[in-house]
This record gives sequence, C-alpha cells and structure tokens, in this order.
Amino acid sequence: MSPQKRGLFTWTMVLVTLAFFYLPLLLLTFFSFNHSKSMVWEGASFRWYAALFLHSPDLWASFGKSIMIALSASLVATLIGSLGAIGLYWYAFKSKRVITVLTLLPLLLPEIIMGVSFLIFFSKIGLPLGLFSIFIAHTTFCIPYVFLIMTARLDEFDYSVIEAAYDLGAQEWVVLTNVILPICRPAIMASLLMSATLSLEDFVITFFVAGPGSTTLPLYIYSMIRFGVSPVINALSVVLIVGTAIIAVLTSRLFKYVIQK
Amino acid sequence: MKSRSGYAYIAPLSLWMGLLLLAPIGIILSYSFLKRGLYGGVSNQITLEAYQQLWSPLYAKVFLNTLLLSGIATVIMILMAIPTAYFMARSKRKTLWLFLIIIPFWTNFLIRIYAWIAILGNNGIVNQCLLRVGWIDQPLRLLYNPLSVILVLVYTYLPFAILPLFSTIEKFDFSLLEAARDLGATRFQAFYKVLIPAIKSGIFSALLFCFIPAFGQYAVPALVGDSRSYMMGNIIARELTITRNWPLSAAISTLLTLATLFALMVFVIQGSRPARVKPIE
Amino acid sequence: MKNLLLGLLLLGLVGLVGCGGRTLYVYNWTYYIPDEVVKQFEQKFMCKVVYDVYSSNEEMFAKLKAGGRGYDVVFPSGDFVKIMIHEGMLEKFEKSKLTNVKYLDPRILEKITFDKGNLYSVPYMAGTAGIAVNKKCVKDYDHSSSIFDRSDLKGRMTLLDDMREVLGMALKSLGYSVNSTDPSELEQAKAVALRWKKNILKFDAESFAKGFAAGEYWVVQGYAENVFLELDEEQRKSVDFFIPKEGTTMYIDSMVILKNAPHVDLAYEFINFVHEPEVYAKIADYLQLPAINTGAVSFIKRPPHYRIEDLDKCQLKEDLGQGVIQFNQAWESIRM
Repeated sequence: MSPQKRGLFTWTMVLVTLAFFYLPLLLLTFFSFNHSKSMVWEGASFRWYAALFLHSPDLWASFGKSIMIALSASLVATLIGSLGAIGLYWYAFKSKRVITVLTLLPLLLPEIIMGVSFLIFFSKIGLPLGLFSIFIAHTTFCIPYVFLIMTARLDEFDYSVIEAAYDLGAQEWVVLTNVILPICRPAIMASLLMSATLSLEDFVITFFVAGPGSTTLPLYIYSMIRFGVSPVINALSVVLIVGTAIIAVLTSRLFKYVIQK
Repeated sequence: MKSRSGYAYIAPLSLWMGLLLLAPIGIILSYSFLKRGLYGGVSNQITLEAYQQLWSPLYAKVFLNTLLLSGIATVIMILMAIPTAYFMARSKRKTLWLFLIIIPFWTNFLIRIYAWIAILGNNGIVNQCLLRVGWIDQPLRLLYNPLSVILVLVYTYLPFAILPLFSTIEKFDFSLLEAARDLGATRFQAFYKVLIPAIKSGIFSALLFCFIPAFGQYAVPALVGDSRSYMMGNIIARELTITRNWPLSAAISTLLTLATLFALMVFVIQGSRPARVKPIE
Repeated sequence: MKNLLLGLLLLGLVGLVGCGGRTLYVYNWTYYIPDEVVKQFEQKFMCKVVYDVYSSNEEMFAKLKAGGRGYDVVFPSGDFVKIMIHEGMLEKFEKSKLTNVKYLDPRILEKITFDKGNLYSVPYMAGTAGIAVNKKCVKDYDHSSSIFDRSDLKGRMTLLDDMREVLGMALKSLGYSVNSTDPSELEQAKAVALRWKKNILKFDAESFAKGFAAGEYWVVQGYAENVFLELDEEQRKSVDFFIPKEGTTMYIDSMVILKNAPHVDLAYEFINFVHEPEVYAKIADYLQLPAINTGAVSFIKRPPHYRIEDLDKCQLKEDLGQGVIQFNQAWESIRM
C-alpha cells in the first residue's frame, strides 16, 4: 500500500490532525522546564521535576489510583460491552430494544446528573464509597462507548462466514474465539483505548462517587483551581507521555498479535 | 443450544445495566416530579413545578446556542476524522497510529486547555509569531469567543470520532474504491458513493460520541468562552450545585435524554436490518 | 494480565480498609493547609491523615447532601456552615476539647453571624475577593469597583463567574447589603453588573489567576491567595491587590466536624492543633492571609496581602435562604 494511494488530501488532513493534537503537548513539555510558575518563559529549570519526584507523594498516589481504575474499568467495560454487542447483534431477543436503550443511557445522561444519582443510589444501598464505587461508575459509563464501537464494527458484516463455521461443525466457543473475536480485534482495541481515556479523564462523576481516601488524579488537579494549578502537573504529564510511549514500543510486539490479522 | 449461548452473551450486559442503572434512572425521574428542598435534595411532595420552570425563553436561547456550537463542532470533527481514520486503517502500523492518536488525551483535560490558552492568548505563541513577522501590529483576539469554544470542543472530542471510524473503515474492502475509480468515478465520488455508505454505522457512533458530550459540556465554555458563553451543561450543573434546585436539573436531564432517545429511535428504525438478524431457534 | 489487574485492585481496596492505627479523614481544598503542618500533626498524634479535596463549597455540599460520608473534618465557608447546621449535618462541639479557641481574634468572632458562639464551627481563614491590577499595564486607577466601568480597559478585565461575588460587589457599590434580596435593590445591582459586563472579557472563576499571571488579563476580580500563588516574587512587585473602597463580600472558612464522623476525637485534636499559635503562623505565612489567631501574630514572618482591618468595609456572605431564587434570576439574566 503505497502512500500515493492515500492521496494528498488524506495526508494533509492527517498531518493537520496530528499537529492539532500535539501542539499543546509540545508547549506543555516546553513549559515543564520553565523556571517560572506562569506561562512566561524565565529560563530553564528542573524544579518541577524535582518537586514531582521528591515532594509529591499525594500526586503519585492519586495517579496510581487513576491508572488502577482506568485499567480495570476499561477491561471490564470492554468485556461486558463486547459480549453484549455480539449477542444483541447476532441473536434476536424480545427485549433487544430495551437492552439497547438501557445500554445507551449512560452516554445520553448529563454526567453531573449521573454522578449525583449514582451517589444517591450507592448511599441508599449502603455501598461504601471508594475505589470500588468509582470502578463501578466508570465501567458503567464506558460500556455504551464499547457497545457502539463494537456494533459499528459488526454492522454490514457478512453473516455467512459464521454460518459456514457452524455448518462445518464448529462449537459455539470455537466460533467466538476463532471467527468473531478476530473480526472484532481492531474494535476491541479501540474500545479499550477509548474506555481508558474516558476513565482517566473523568472528573465530574468520579467526584461524586469517590469516598474518603480515593482521590484520583483529575480530582486532585481540579481541586487545585482555587490556588492555581501547579506546573508539577505539567512535569507529570510529560513523564506520563514518555512512559506510555516507552511501554507502547516495548509491547508493540504483543499488540501486533492483538490487532493485525 | 444456540439460543442459550445467545443469552450468555447478553447476560452480563443486561445484569450490569439492569442492576446498576435502573435505580439511578428511577431516582432522576422521580426527583423531577418532586418539590425542591431548599438546601438541595427533594421533599416528598409531588409537583410539576420543575417542568413548568423549564419553559423559560432564557433556557430556549441557551439551548439553541448549545445546539449550534456543538453541532458545528461535530460536523468539523467528522470531516477531520474520516480522512484520518481512513489513513490509519490503510496504514501498516495501525497500533502505532492508534496510540499516536490517543496518547495526547491521557494528559489531563484542564492542563491541555491551559496549553491552548498559552497558544492562542494575546501573548500566546501564535500572536507572538505573527507580530514578529510583522503581519499584524495588534494581537488578534483568538481566544474567548464562540470560535475558540468550537475549536476546543473539536480538540476535546476528535479522538472519540476517530476511534469508531477507524474500527469500521478497517474492515472495508478497499478494492471497491479502486473498482469505482476504474469505472470512471473521481476520487471524491468513489469516497462519497462507495466508502461513506459502507461506514455509516461508524459515522453514526462517531456522531453520538462527539455531539452528546459536547452538548453537555460546561468546562469548555467556562475556560475559553466569552462573557456570553453559556451552555446547557452550565445550567444543569448550576441548578444542581449553586441554586440547589435538584428537581429542575433532573427535569432538564430527563427531557434532553428523551429527546436524544427519540432521535436515536428514528434513526434506528430507519436503519434497522431485520433480515440479518439470526432468530433464536 | 486481567488477574494481575484484579489483584492490584483488591490490594488497593484492602490497603484502604486495612491500614491500622488511627486515621483522620480531612476534606478540604488542595493546598489550603501546607503539607508540613499535616505531617507535623501525624507525627505528634501518631496517626495518618487522609486528605481529600474538592474544588468548591457547592460541590462539597452537593456531595455530602447526596450521601457522601466518611469524612471527619471539612472546611466550608460561613454560609455553608449555616446550611449544614440547618440540615443537621454537623457535630456540636464540646468546647472543653478546643482549648486553643481562646486565641481567636475577637474582631473576626464578632463578624460571625452564621454560627454565633461557635457551637459548630471554628474559623480557619478570613478573606475576600478583591481586585488585582497589573500595574505595568494600568497606570492610574481608583481603588474602587468602578474600575470595571472603564471602557479603555475593555477586553482586559474579568469578573468571577460567581453570582454572590459579582452581585455582592455590585450591591455594595450601591451602598446596599451584599445579602440583599430586595427586588428593587437587586434590579439596580443587576444594571451595574450588566454595565460591567460590557467591558469585561469574561466571567472567569477557573483560570483568572493563570490569565493574570500570563499578562492576558490586566484587572481581575479574585482571591488574593489564588492570584499570588501563581506569581513569582519578581512578578508580585508589579501587582496591586486591593479591596474596593465601597467594600465587597468576605468569607470566613471554618473547620467543622461532620455528624457521624468516624474519628471524632482525632478531629478535635486536629482543629485544636491548627490553632496552636506556632502552627497557625505557618499556615498564615504560607497563604499570606491575615492571621485570625492572636497568639500567632508574633510568629508571622511574611506580611499578608491585606490586614484584618481591611475587611471592615466588607460584609460576610450569608446564606440567602429562599432569596437564592431571586438572586439566581438576576444572575441568569446577566449570564445567559
């Protein structure tokens, strides 16, 4: 597949998109080395990195909690959402429409309303607030995204392939792992990434369902608003980006099997 | 046997949503019909007050304004996302591209918005560059207007448009495009007539992922909007926290959700495909 | 991989539940207490402090109202203290356990209307939303809220995105109470705010300090601690922070113990500890707000951004009760 086939327009759009995505990050990286607190350059300095690595245990603790929740919520949401999408797509149920609507609701409700109603619900049933309640809320609001990505992938798919597998005597389990899941790999990957992103970013819902001792990174950052968000956060963002990039490169082999047919 | 495994697929989803979502939804619905508590919460008295308070010309104005801003932002996102997703889907290094697209969004939202402010502000790098080159002698007002709200909305939700489009385009048979070209279609015609219809469910997901969150946003207008920027999300959040009129914010949410659901149903019915669904034996 | 993650999750949960010894759960703004003080408390009382954070009174209250629990000490502003008392959310103090309240400045105590006699709350900090001016860009000006009427500064000024602060300052500029819910007074205040709105760039409660530090805004309405924490020593020289001469609103953030707090004893120790003169001086130095602890005054090393006397022309924001509806209507027609 040569680049020419993708055309000048496509290339331009991709470059514009990448520039659009990375310009703020470049600037952020630049200012993480700024001596001044504000976004006015006052000479290079590692003071924010020093502060990050030496004096920010709370920040790291909240960061760890965010990562833990993002990983677990995205995995569980992808599992539940994908299976549900496959089931609803290939089998006819009387309650199909009801389940679909119910699944989409977390996407449609304003997040602050979701947050408060979850909190009221959790406190009525006596569920202790903490990482577990955050995990439940995050999984719930990620599921509709997974569900729709998977449905879009399955849509227009040629059902005869599966029919053929059954005709050849394949068991249900074999059809799922050898036929359906390979078809869905890119969608599963997209779902995981999207859920992880949604979970890492969420402030509003998390705020309400968090309990004592479960401050996540966005909660920590937003609460700084009153006294000014410290540039230590810039340094943390750079460390996070570099760290992700390294992990992505190291595990790219693993992911190759996941995504490429 | 097949029918049983069908249930096995949807059981986790139905259970999760049924157990964890029905009650919160019930809470929202019932609160919208109750009388407000002075300090938040509700008192046990059924009333339609919240729904009466809804019909205010101010809210209608904000509603239309929100519709316009998030609508424009969504159209731009889709237009940008299709070529990007197409490019990624045809690339040999799909994983790499997926990560490239998503990694910027693992940095906190607020921090990225501050970066945009530093780029577009009066003393921001764009204005500094233009001033130095001499194209302008007064800094341009790039921030704090409806356009910057749209820009930041696009920035915030664009990956949510790219991901579903990518996973849909990825399964598209690209030789169809070449066939169309061979039959005399221009590149654009081939795209428009062959690719777009084949990926319409991806476009649909992308639309939902962008439009709905953009519609409910309240941080973006607060951070980069001007003194007139106000969106539906701001009203809902205000009614809940500052004026503590919980029934009203529940009622607004109920109506908005019903409206979106209605629109969705229309779409789903139009695009329903009964022929492809396998009946349970 | 999945097992590993679930394992991690469980470990985290166990870690949270199982950390033995005494733990105090504090719910507050980030940076509102210096880390040093919290550490000192942990050492002195052999306990652990879990410090959770919120970003506004309103959010904190909505969360607790909807059923959030598990916290011991919270730091609401005065108007919210009153609401929380009304809602029965606060523990009534046993005064004998709070020996250090004797240091509280009577000038502040006499202003307190939300909890007369401090039965449920101990003041932590008193302050106000004033006006910060970048002297490099704005030369001659009056120490008055009428600065927002200057059309030559159009597009360079911001007001807080907060109805109490903006309407409060407008009401005060007309000589009325910041807590007025009188329709005609509110109507006049609304007209003032609408006049200001023509000249300001935006209503900003989130990033005004950042924008001010970057030179984007020249005149901002905001909290001193917020504005100055963004600035380096050098930049501070060109900044003038003033309280408008007509007066404006003020707040008294207070420490309260929640009803059903799991660790009441430690909560008392904490509140008492904060008002130990040497400890309080550290906090006041860090925030550079006026010390409201008379014992601490001699330990203060850095001058505050304003003095307690400056607050005399300001009026405490009080809970408006039903009046919030009128206030809100006025604000909505300004904002929408």
